[in-house]
Amino acid sequence: MARPAKTVAGISVAVAVALSLTACGGGSGAQQSADAKQTLTVWGMGEEAKRLAEVAKDFEKDNPNVTVKVTPIGWDVVGQKMTAAAAAGKLPDMAQMGSTMMGQYIALDVLEPVNTKTFKKSDFFPATWNSNVVDGTAYGVPWYADVRGLYYRTDLAKKAGVDKAPVTWADHHALAEAYRKNGAQWGTALQPGNTGAWQSWLQFLYSEGGSLTDADGKAALDSPEAVKAFETWGGYFKDGLAKKNFVPGADVAKTFAKGEEPTFMSGPWMVQNLNEQQPQLKGKWKTAPLPAGPKGSVSWVGGSSLVTFRDSEHKAAAEKFTQYLTTPETQAAWYGATKSLPAAKAAYDLPEIKDSAEADSLKVFRAALDTGKEIPALEKWNEIAAAIEGTLEKIAQGGDPAAEAKKLQATTEGLISR
Amino acid sequence: MKTAATRAGAGPDRAPAQAGGPPGQQAPTGPELRPDRLSRQNLAGWLYSTPFLALFLTFMAFPIIATLLMSFTDFGLRNVTHPLDANFVGLDNYTALFDDPKFMKALFNTCYFVVLGVPLTIGSGLVAAVLLNSGIDRFRTFFRVGFYVPVVTAIVAVAVIWRFVLDPSEGLIAGLGSQLGFSTPDFLASKALAMPSLIVMAVWRNMGTAMVLFLAGLQAIPVEVREAAKLDGAGAFQEFRRITVPLLRPTMLYVAVMTTIGFLNVFEEPFVMTDGGPGDSTLTVSLHMYKEGFSFFHMGSASAMAYVLFTIVLAVTLLQFRLLKDKTR
Repeated sequence: MARPAKTVAGISVAVAVALSLTACGGGSGAQQSADAKQTLTVWGMGEEAKRLAEVAKDFEKDNPNVTVKVTPIGWDVVGQKMTAAAAAGKLPDMAQMGSTMMGQYIALDVLEPVNTKTFKKSDFFPATWNSNVVDGTAYGVPWYADVRGLYYRTDLAKKAGVDKAPVTWADHHALAEAYRKNGAQWGTALQPGNTGAWQSWLQFLYSEGGSLTDADGKAALDSPEAVKAFETWGGYFKDGLAKKNFVPGADVAKTFAKGEEPTFMSGPWMVQNLNEQQPQLKGKWKTAPLPAGPKGSVSWVGGSSLVTFRDSEHKAAAEKFTQYLTTPETQAAWYGATKSLPAAKAAYDLPEIKDSAEADSLKVFRAALDTGKEIPALEKWNEIAAAIEGTLEKIAQGGDPAAEAKKLQATTEGLISR
Repeated sequence: MKTAATRAGAGPDRAPAQAGGPPGQQAPTGPELRPDRLSRQNLAGWLYSTPFLALFLTFMAFPIIATLLMSFTDFGLRNVTHPLDANFVGLDNYTALFDDPKFMKALFNTCYFVVLGVPLTIGSGLVAAVLLNSGIDRFRTFFRVGFYVPVVTAIVAVAVIWRFVLDPSEGLIAGLGSQLGFSTPDFLASKALAMPSLIVMAVWRNMGTAMVLFLAGLQAIPVEVREAAKLDGAGAFQEFRRITVPLLRPTMLYVAVMTTIGFLNVFEEPFVMTDGGPGDSTLTVSLHMYKEGFSFFHMGSASAMAYVLFTIVLAVTLLQFRLLKDKTR
């Protein structure tokens, strides 16, 4: 039970170590050339790190002078570990970095800008690249992308008299009502609060034409678009179409299969999950683009990028490895292994993707990547996300969207500063 | 306080004899002491304590002081790489805490958790211990292990079990409820029931420790005293009230202090089960501190919270020492 006390102590130690280390210079020493014998240290996240280690083996075959050492870090502790490492000057050469983490580490000034001679913005989906950019400089190369699509039960829709995918949010709301009238417990699954709830709302904001920050880089969470997005989102709860209470560890695949929540928004991996875990559902569901607002169907785009740390002495080798991981061939093979969407556009023309079992739904997600919008690299994203989640929870419980948006704006104004 | 008072009372007679004499009289002993302090044996003593001292200073004293200093600064994310750029802000972090509705809510939740959880843990631990000590002869080891297993089980496994128990659609309680024909609430999603659910879980997790300690305490109660009580005609309940409980006082003090400290620092239960929700109804001080410190990197504010919590723990512990002092001596 005393864990926080220990971790506070841990950070203090790390800071103290940093104090003593910065004095005797943890800065970068001599750079090693790409063909020198060397070990490249890479931090990967969760399950992906294991797969990354396998891919690294193939890279080592082509580059026998480089040994790639992949260290797996759990997604839940990566923030602490990496910040502690930054404090102690013990960062690896390279790391996989979640798109919403970029802002924090760019602000900490520990990332090496991307060599734009080697990596071209036009090779990647614009949103995947833009989330790594602050003041015109890119600090990470997009590796894989995450985007939202709509999953819905076609059999239950037919029963309710709906025979095509909802095109607008109004259509989707009507579909949810139709499901409900025909015996479904809820119309749709929509996360009403708690960590990660922003993922259920940001697409409402983006398709409304709103954004997190305005043209001057200031918070814009009480804009008319934002208020409208809160209203549309809150409407599902107001009309009893979505569950108001957050259930920790809820499995949407199960409630979807049971017909309790016959539609939800999620990423591409759910296609495989549904195929494997709920095989009896085959042919009874489909994916569709997210419902559209006035600005069309606009999902938020997340994912992971590959970053090189400023203090690395193996930048040339790191660049080579990054290049290897972002070639269309490696990216397509990576999709086969992890079902993560490639960030490189060219990968979608390769047979591993074109002819995959999920090809139909992949078209939906690929289109969403083209029209999707990035989450800007914000230093205090964690705090902003928590504030948005607090607001969403209040609106789901019946709070007034306009009033809550105003409060949210007041909270976030101080968090987004330039 | 009584012991302190008697010591203070004894002071005036004893003190002069020991140290308070005129400096002149002490002079001869002074120089003789010096070589003794640096004698071989003392050196060995210091050598033996060096590993402890080194570890203590590095991993305990230093972070404790660093956290205290940090609590007076605006240490934030950017100071992680530039710690010396943090500014001293005096008591601002502390005053800001008491204006922060979230912190006050966390403080209230923690009190709620302690006030209900500690007596329940101690009570159920005591009952289990007494039953195991006298009532149940067969399967005694089985029950002892059974009650103690939750203590040594990893919190992640505990969370999996309790999620299942509390699950609103296919959980143990919901299943039993539907068999018996009544509907059960969604415990963790309800603002009113989330905290009580966590308290029950914490009691289940911690009563084993209390039970083991009480068992040890019970075995230390002399059989003669019990026999005497029985000869005087005491029933089972009277024996429990007049003999067992008073003689268990020292154990009770230890169990109460340790349980209260543990419960005041409550972190794992809300962390794995609810993440502080719904609507901050299970946000505790430690969890709030953790989020402020490690999600948002408001180290200054989080350190201030740590010291506020420390002060509360210290005050409550001192109070318990007074209230549960051994009165049999």
